[in-house]
Amino acid sequence: ILLGSWFVVISVMECRVLSIQSHVVRGYVGNKSATFPLQVLGFEVDSINSVQFSNHTGYAHWKGQVLTAEELNELYEGIKLNKVNHYDYILTGYSRDTSFLEMVVDIIKELKEANPSLVYVCDPVMGDHGAMYVPEYLLPVYRDKVVPLADILTPNQFEAELLTGRKITTEEDAVEVMDLLHKMGPKTVVLTSSDLPSKRGDQFLVALGSQTIVKPDGTNTSQKICIDIPKVDAVFVGTGDLFAALLLAWTHHHPKDLKAACEKTVSVMHHVIKRTITYAHELAGPGKRPSPAQLELRMVQSKADIENPAIVVEAKVLQKSSH
Amino acid sequence: MECRVLSIQSHVVRGYVGNKSATFPLQVLGFEVDSINSVQFSNHTGYAHWKGQVLTAEELNELYEGIKLNKVNHYDYILTGYSRDTSFLEMVVDIIKELKEANPSLVYVCDPVMGDHGAMVRTPPTFQVMDLLHKMGPKTVVLTSSDLPSKRGDQFLVALGSQTIVKPDGTNTSQKICIDIPKVDAVFVGTGDLFAALLLAWTHHHPKDLKAACEKTVSVMHHVIKRTITYAHELAGPGKRPSPAQLELRMVQSKADIENPAIVVEAKVLQKSSH
Repeated sequence: ILLGSWFVVISVMECRVLSIQSHVVRGYVGNKSATFPLQVLGFEVDSINSVQFSNHTGYAHWKGQVLTAEELNELYEGIKLNKVNHYDYILTGYSRDTSFLEMVVDIIKELKEANPSLVYVCDPVMGDHGAMYVPEYLLPVYRDKVVPLADILTPNQFEAELLTGRKITTEEDAVEVMDLLHKMGPKTVVLTSSDLPSKRGDQFLVALGSQTIVKPDGTNTSQKICIDIPKVDAVFVGTGDLFAALLLAWTHHHPKDLKAACEKTVSVMHHVIKRTITYAHELAGPGKRPSPAQLELRMVQSKADIENPAIVVEAKVLQKSSH
Repeated sequence: MECRVLSIQSHVVRGYVGNKSATFPLQVLGFEVDSINSVQFSNHTGYAHWKGQVLTAEELNELYEGIKLNKVNHYDYILTGYSRDTSFLEMVVDIIKELKEANPSLVYVCDPVMGDHGAMVRTPPTFQVMDLLHKMGPKTVVLTSSDLPSKRGDQFLVALGSQTIVKPDGTNTSQKICIDIPKVDAVFVGTGDLFAALLLAWTHHHPKDLKAACEKTVSVMHHVIKRTITYAHELAGPGKRPSPAQLELRMVQSKADIENPAIVVEAKVLQKSSH
């Protein structure tokens, strides 16, 4: 008897994602970071490249071209004229341009009309560690136009503070901020990192998540979780883009179980990052800090971990509260 | 495996041609793929409508300059396909020359996309054509399709290949093969781009065995095409011709076949000849 005959036949997943992110010739940020994992997990990925750069902007040099809002609209028009503007998910990340972001908003509105069950996964990339690295005038566009359309939001602590106007210093603050973000739009919010102290010590950072679920009696409840994530002593680029893509995939498979979705997402991140840092140190040599080129995510080498992650973190359910 | 490919091809938002067709299979097979998108279109030009933007030769050079300034212009393979622009193609040539200087063992896989089903008044016999092509440069030539009659009948098309190998005594020899490929009653787009990417991968694993490399390549093509046509007919419904959108290659669904193809064709070794 072939081993294969014991496997359950699973029907092929038909799920189409529109991802509007950067393209880099070399390395893994934006669409380069998001596309391979989603494809490996069986998603059809349509990708609009908002820029084409040689590499990410953390290298000593970078060169390339940006897409204008008009060009973005042109590409969408082509899809629309062929009547194939039907998506199950939209995924967006880093943007520097208000007019581009506003065109993205218009496109999402139209796609949501075409498919009301469309899920918009939004990484509201604005900054980190207390500093913005996009122009300040993007904040009102995110806050007032983008986030209200989002179904899943993946801000870090700083971005969550910017969007809600509230500071996070305790876990209670984080819970309040996530509830405020729910009120702005998204049913699922993941604070991808925070400065909150971890009970496991200073080698860990705390991430939190919240998902509102409508109970059978019509009332809302929310599942709130927190995860302790081992810190790594290196600056990675593209990890946020990978995180959002993986969260899309795992919330698709676990739509009402944020705990499971986050455990898988964070576990994959861990495997990719570990593989990356090991290889980077091999390349750099003993005692040398790896370069941005050496720190590029070991994406294709992590295919097996992406497909079938060994779970290496456990999310804690904080509280269920009814509203 | 540490193997880096630079692929300079089209990007389509939706569907599988150019870099969209080449990148996923190569990544799934463990290759690092750096991709320069020569155009960004909504979809391939076989649809009723298409919209998008093209990269100029200057912009191509800019991107290459970025890679070069960071001193990461080191590749094991280059892959190119469809191009409409002479100045762009000439910039590609300059880049390849420089990359070959940086790495003399670089392998350039070239699909010289110019047309199909054209008429030639007089064609030299196929072997001579492949040998003429060897003399022009490439050590490996695959005629991906031909109008030659197949011994297996008219439901098959004939593909041929030739690889020159330097023997230990310094003389050249060539391995020539032919494969009968089952015809499919549909127009696919992106299959040539997929073929070239797969041939890159399988010649990498079988550098001196064109027979094995072609059998794997053609087998994967067969699985992908079969899956695609089945699904296209499901979508179109009985008796209807599938649309270009419905005929997009079932690429992500074919991951297992790409990784570990069941071999479904056998290439015939034609002759070894010494030169």
